[in-house]
Amino acid sequence: MKLGFRSKIYLGFFSLLLIQGLVIFFWTSQVMKTSLLEEIQNRGISIGINLSARMVEPMLAMDFLRMKVLVDETVELGDDIFYTFVLDRDGNPLIHTFKEGFPIALKTANYVLDNQKVSMRLLDIGDQLIYDYAVPVFINDNRLGTLRLGLFQTQAEKAVDKILISAIITIVSAIFVAGIVGTMLLNPMTKSIKKLHDSSEQALRGNLDVRTAPMLKKNCWDLMQCHQKECPAYKNYHHRCWYMAGTLCPTCVEGEYAKKIDSCRQCQVYKRFSGNEIQSLAESFDAMTLSLKGNLSDLKAAESILNEQKALLQTTLDAIPDFISLQDHEGRYVSVNRGFCKMLDKKKEEIVGKTNDDLFSRIQADQYNKEDKSIFETRIPLVKENKMAGSKGMKWLHVVKIPVLETKNRVKGLVCSGRDITELKVVQEQLTQAQKMESVGRLAAGVAHEINTPLGIILGYAQLLLEDVEKDGQIYKDVSTIAKQTKLCSKIVADLLNFSRSSQSIISEFDINEAIKEVLDMVEHTFSLNHVIVKHEYDKVPLLMRGDKEKLKQVFINLSNNAFDAIEKNGSILFKTEPGEIHNEIKISISDTGCGISKDNIRKIFEPFYTTKGPDQGTGLGLSVTFGIIKEHNGTIKVYSPPLSGKKEEKGTQFIVVLPSGLNTKKGEING
Amino acid sequence: MKYGWMILLFFSLLPGCGENGSAIKVDLTKKEMVILKEEPDVITYAYLPQYSHTVSHTRHHSLIQYLKKETGLNIKQIFPDTFDEHMKMVGQKKIDISFSNPFIYIKISQRYGANAFARIIEMNGKDKFSGQIICRADNASIQTLSDCRNKSWIAVDSTSAGGYLFPLGHFIDHGIIKKDFREIAFSPGPGGKQEKVVLSVYAGKYDIGTIREGTLDVVSDKIEINKIKIISMTDQYPGWMYAARKNLNKKIVEKILEAFEKLDFNNKTHREILESANFIKVIASTDSDFDIVRQLAAKVGISLEE
Repeated sequence: MKLGFRSKIYLGFFSLLLIQGLVIFFWTSQVMKTSLLEEIQNRGISIGINLSARMVEPMLAMDFLRMKVLVDETVELGDDIFYTFVLDRDGNPLIHTFKEGFPIALKTANYVLDNQKVSMRLLDIGDQLIYDYAVPVFINDNRLGTLRLGLFQTQAEKAVDKILISAIITIVSAIFVAGIVGTMLLNPMTKSIKKLHDSSEQALRGNLDVRTAPMLKKNCWDLMQCHQKECPAYKNYHHRCWYMAGTLCPTCVEGEYAKKIDSCRQCQVYKRFSGNEIQSLAESFDAMTLSLKGNLSDLKAAESILNEQKALLQTTLDAIPDFISLQDHEGRYVSVNRGFCKMLDKKKEEIVGKTNDDLFSRIQADQYNKEDKSIFETRIPLVKENKMAGSKGMKWLHVVKIPVLETKNRVKGLVCSGRDITELKVVQEQLTQAQKMESVGRLAAGVAHEINTPLGIILGYAQLLLEDVEKDGQIYKDVSTIAKQTKLCSKIVADLLNFSRSSQSIISEFDINEAIKEVLDMVEHTFSLNHVIVKHEYDKVPLLMRGDKEKLKQVFINLSNNAFDAIEKNGSILFKTEPGEIHNEIKISISDTGCGISKDNIRKIFEPFYTTKGPDQGTGLGLSVTFGIIKEHNGTIKVYSPPLSGKKEEKGTQFIVVLPSGLNTKKGEING
Repeated sequence: MKYGWMILLFFSLLPGCGENGSAIKVDLTKKEMVILKEEPDVITYAYLPQYSHTVSHTRHHSLIQYLKKETGLNIKQIFPDTFDEHMKMVGQKKIDISFSNPFIYIKISQRYGANAFARIIEMNGKDKFSGQIICRADNASIQTLSDCRNKSWIAVDSTSAGGYLFPLGHFIDHGIIKKDFREIAFSPGPGGKQEKVVLSVYAGKYDIGTIREGTLDVVSDKIEINKIKIISMTDQYPGWMYAARKNLNKKIVEKILEAFEKLDFNNKTHREILESANFIKVIASTDSDFDIVRQLAAKVGISLEE
């Protein structure tokens, strides 16, 4: 378990005191002990030298009484003096303080030379240690003998120990007193810090209604004698006025803490009531949590709005059928909409954070990277139409890439927007086709109109000649050929006129089944010769419609002829009629078992003069005329090869013509 | 280890608690009784303790070494504490050779049969010496000898020649008797009695003091000599002398006298000995040389037997 702040402070405080005490104790005790022992030793030397000087006269007089008195007096000076004795110049004891005889060993235990002032030795007498001092007794240069003095070292030690114990007691007392004083000083501080810590934890848990500082006892309204109840600081016992915005004191500067604090510091309220650092910290913490609470509330509201806006934006983006993406400056996808996900058939999470290399084929990725790099470098938007293979075939995409500028010269990212224009492309192609056909039609009509008159004259004169020549003659045959070919030319001209809608339409109400039946009656025999069977499945009820019956019959003839040409021999052609999927529509299906149409050709079959037949077998106008007649009747024609109803491996072609019955429409709305 | 430094600090401080140094083992159980061994054939030599033992030793140590060497005798200086002790020791044969003033001599001669055999010539070249009567130089009430009446007097010792006997005779010659003094005190012993007289007067404890001539030179390093005034000088009497105790082997006395007479002040070694002893020569002497002193004693009423 880790120590708390208070424990650490106390531990550190007491450790410091203890270390300081120990250092002082050990260091000073050593110094004291050394100096004390030195002092004790010096005392021995001093006593010895002094006694030596006093011993001269009695020694000269050989006054043993005085000598005895002197040595006895010396021993009585203190408990630490063990013995004193005097040796003569030969080292024999003259006088001593021992009770029962003189210890022989002491004679030689210490010796002092004539040139020495004193000699000190430590003697071990078994249970005690003795400092033995030997001092020579001189009269002038004549040595009378030696004075010896013995001091208990243990007594000296005791004196030292007494001082050390006093030192220890003093230091411990000092630590104790310092500890009490320190505790008294530290306690309020550590309590405040503990409370601050608790409040901070509460704040971290989300509770910002914390009260760290004690309830305020001295307040601004008392000092200023203020009665402004509207002031936010008035009767607020928890927050100091200088932390609060919008206080109404005349000396206050408007604004938040940062703006007003400089002026507040000059205010007598601040000078009088601002506490110590810890109290100020607690008060500022309370103010901070209060401010934080307000800011947090604003932030939450802003976040809520932001989330709403974000969701709205995402919904809008996702609702847009176009695909939209945002890449960062490294080409990494940052955001994409649903359309983009749909296009790549991936989830959003699988796209965000990836690059082109991760999402597209190598060739495509290289191309896109090249484009992106160019935009990043040139900052010029890119607009292009892109053809790409999708899961449902080829797609045409209209793509716009726009750089997102961070600064004037720096591109932050890239917004890419794309739209599927496959259908538009088809319509565009159809429009082009229609325009082309319209031009051809106008040209053909003009040519046909100009050729029709000379052809009539040629036919007229050829028929006149036939009346004039013999029917068996060669001339008759030749003229007959001219007339026949002229009629063929007239037919072509008529077809051209039909295609260019220049021919007149005769509108009537008729049964489509009947019209088809009339056509089939006409061709059935011819087709059967090549073993081509014509079948029909008419709807049970008559499918009445308004339109040009002859033109529509021409349509069916053209389609049956094309079917016959595709079969050549041994096959069948099926005519089927039924009501359309939409009310008032008639659906006619003509399918054959012929060679079918290749994918390349199927789109060109309605173009004028486009034919796969030989030079003399077709004009290339049949299906163009058919397309024109159906358009004239506001219908549609679609071609499927192989037929929709058949199996894929089957050959053949199916044309489905859907015509509005026109029965509910007013007269004259049909083109023509 | 997190708190290792604290333990390290603690142990680094521990050596401060220990005691070092090696002690010599001594057995105190073996003991002996102290018995002073007397040296055989010792000739004891004593200087009348008019000064401290140290001064006595300093003055005569070289001389004794000379005598020992010159005579081949085992001469040893001993130090009686008082004049009385000195005299008694002569009677007890503890002092063989006594160096004393003539007043003591006439006493030990009278009491114990000591015989004078030599006397000294003082550093001033005289074979006699006198006593001095001193007072503080700033004591205006004492200008002449007669001013000494009713004054307190400190003398060296009742047995002192220059310090008491000669001045007392001098006072009597001038009509001043003991009763004329407010107080007569003697210098406390033992030893250094001449110096103590000077110091007592210098300190103002006594009005006048009596000393033998030459004492002021001895104390010149202790006090300001110019603060002391010599009121009067006594007549001159025979100076310090050597006496042999009764029955001391005459050969020994002769040997010593012979050695004394050999001392020549012009000899460098001898001069050092003589200067140290504070005289320049030792000459032969006889008991009759001191009759004049005996007469003085009789005059002042001092019994030689007391």
